[in-house]
Amino acid sequence: MSENIKFSPWLDSSQKPYIQIQNVTKRFGEFTAIDNLTLDIYKNEFFSLLGPSGCGKTTLLRMLAGFEKITDGKILVDGEDISEIPPHLRPINMMFQSYALFPHMTVEKNIAFGLKQDNLPTNEINQRVEEMLELVELTDFANRKPNQLSGGQSQRVALARSLAKRPKLLLLDEPLGALDKRLREQTQFELMDIQEKLEVTFVIVTHDQEEAMTVSSRIGVMDSGNLVQVATPTEIYEAPINKDVADFIGDVNILKGIYKGQNEVGTQLFSEDSNSIVFATQEVGASVEDEMWFAIRPEKLEISKVAPSHDHNILKGTIEDIAYGGSFSTYHVKLDNGRILKAIRANRERTKEHHLTWDDEVYLQWAPHSAVVLLS
Amino acid sequence: MKKFGSFNIFSLIVGFSFLYIPIILLILFSFNESRLVTVWGGFSTKWYGELLQNQGIKDAAWVTIKVAFVSSTIATILGTIAGLVMTRFGNFKGRTLFSGMIYAPMVMPEVIIGLSTLLMFVALAIDRGIFTVTLAHITFSMCYVAVVVQSRMSSYDDSLTEAALDLGCTPFRTFILITLPIILPAVISGWLLSFTLSLDDLVIASFTSGPGSTTLPMKIYSMVRLGVTPEINAVSTILVGVVTLGVITASLIGRRQKQQILKTQHT
Repeated sequence: MSENIKFSPWLDSSQKPYIQIQNVTKRFGEFTAIDNLTLDIYKNEFFSLLGPSGCGKTTLLRMLAGFEKITDGKILVDGEDISEIPPHLRPINMMFQSYALFPHMTVEKNIAFGLKQDNLPTNEINQRVEEMLELVELTDFANRKPNQLSGGQSQRVALARSLAKRPKLLLLDEPLGALDKRLREQTQFELMDIQEKLEVTFVIVTHDQEEAMTVSSRIGVMDSGNLVQVATPTEIYEAPINKDVADFIGDVNILKGIYKGQNEVGTQLFSEDSNSIVFATQEVGASVEDEMWFAIRPEKLEISKVAPSHDHNILKGTIEDIAYGGSFSTYHVKLDNGRILKAIRANRERTKEHHLTWDDEVYLQWAPHSAVVLLS
Repeated sequence: MKKFGSFNIFSLIVGFSFLYIPIILLILFSFNESRLVTVWGGFSTKWYGELLQNQGIKDAAWVTIKVAFVSSTIATILGTIAGLVMTRFGNFKGRTLFSGMIYAPMVMPEVIIGLSTLLMFVALAIDRGIFTVTLAHITFSMCYVAVVVQSRMSSYDDSLTEAALDLGCTPFRTFILITLPIILPAVISGWLLSFTLSLDDLVIASFTSGPGSTTLPMKIYSMVRLGVTPEINAVSTILVGVVTLGVITASLIGRRQKQQILKTQHT
C-alpha cells in the first residue's frame, strides 16, 4: 500500500483533474438535492462519496451516469463537457445497487451485452468476456442464469459487466450493500485489486464509513447536497473539519468548552466536563471566550485506575459499561457531570481480568496532540 | 393444509354446480344422438360432423377468428403502450384521470359501448362490417391488456433499463432487448385475454356489425331464436373449449411469471 500513499495527484498542481464537477446544482421541483457543488477527481482515483441517506450522493452519481439532468453547472470528463450527452453515449459505466442483471440472459450474455452494442467482432467479444470471467473468477458460471447465482456471484457479474467495455470511469452505487459482513470485507480488497490492475477511475457511493475508509484514495463527505469535506481517509479521521464529520466517521468524544487563548502547549479550552483548562497542540484562529470543541477518538483516550503524574487533560469518572470486542475493549466512562465518554484499550495481555471492571474509578487522559480543535 | 368442514364442502358443491351444471349439460347434449335436445338418445359425434356442413356457422366462425385475432393483436400493442406509460411516467398531472379513462371500459355497460360506437360510425358514415367490429373490440379489450401489463411493470426494476442504456444500448433497442422480453409473459396473457373477450362478445358485435360480418356468438343467438338444436350445443361446446384454453393458458403464464419474480427477488 506504500504506492497508495505516494499516489496523491490532488496535491500536485501540474496534474489535470480527470472529472471536473463545476458548480453543479440539481433541483427536483422545490427540493434542492445538490447545491452548487464543485469537485475535481483525478485519473486512477478510488473516490468515495460518503454521507447519510438523502444527502444527494446517489443523485450526484446518477448525474455522472446521465440518468439525471443537471439543473445548473456542468460536468467535464477528460476536458469534455458531458452534461448534454445521453447515458448510452457516455464513456462511463455504472454498477447498480440492485446489480440489475438481465434475468433472461446468461452470465456470459450479460457481460457481452455492452460489447455487442458497440458492434465489436464476435471473436473480440468472446475474448473480452473470457477475460472478464477470469477476472471475477466466474468462468465456470458462464452459462448460468442470474437467478441461479448467490449474492456474491451476482455482485461479481455486475462488476464484470460494467468493466467489460473498459470505461474511463466506473460508478459504483452501494456495490457491497447487499453482501454479508465477511463477504463484504473480502470483496473490498478484490475491488481495490481490480481497480489497480485495470487502472480505471472509480467513484463509489456508500453510506458505510468503514468501507469508504478501506477502499478510497479520497473521501468526499456529503450532507444536504453539499460537500462538507474532501480528504484522504486518514485526514478525514484524524482531522475532521467539524463535529458532524467527526461524528459521522467513526466514534468520537466531543468536549465542549470556551476558548481561553494560546499558550506554549497550544490551544487552551475551559472544559465544562472537567471544570478545568484542557489543552490541544493544534492552533486555531479564534477569539477568546468563543465556544469551541475538542474531538478525541476513543482509542486516543488513555484509561487507567492510577492517577497520572501530571495535572492537565485529565477527566475522572466511573466505568459504566464494558464492551468486550476480542482484540480490544470499549469502556463507557461516566463523568461526574453525568456525561458518558468512550475509551478503547487494546487487550494486549491474555488474561481473564483486564484489571478494569464495572464501577471502577478511572482517570481518562490524552496527549495534547491527540485532540482535534473544532470551531463548528 | 386446512381441513374442509362439511358446511364448506356443501357450499363449494352448491356454488360450483350453480356455475357449471348448465355448461356441463350443454357439453353432454352436444354428444346426443337424438335430435330432441332434452332427451338422451345415446352417444354420437354426428352433430359435429353436421356443423362442418353448415356454411353459415363456418362463415361466422371465420369472421369471429379474424376479428378476434386482429383486434387482440392491436389491442395488445396499444394496451402495452398504455400500461408502460402509466408506470413509466410516474405522477404526472392528471394521472388519475388518465388511468381512470383507460380502465373505464372495464366497468362501462357493454350496451353503452356498443351504442356509442355505433353512433360514431353512423355519424362518420363508415359502412359497418368486419372493420367496425374489430375497431370496437380493440377499444374495449385494450384496457384489459393495460391492466395486466401495468401490474407486471409495477414489479419491474427500472435499473434494468438504466443498466442497458448505461452499456450503450439506445432507448428503442433497450425496449426490444430488455423490457419487452421481461414483460413478454404479461403481454402474451393480455393478448390471450383480449382474444377470448373478442371471441365471446355478443352485445358490442351486434351493435357494430353489418351484413357479412356476423360473428359466431351472433349466429348462435339468432339460431336459438328458432329453437335450440344439438348443432348449437356442438358449436357452443367448441367455443367453451377455446375460451377455457385461452383463459387457462393466460393464468398459467401469469403464475409462472409470478414464481419467476419471486425467485429473482429471493436471490
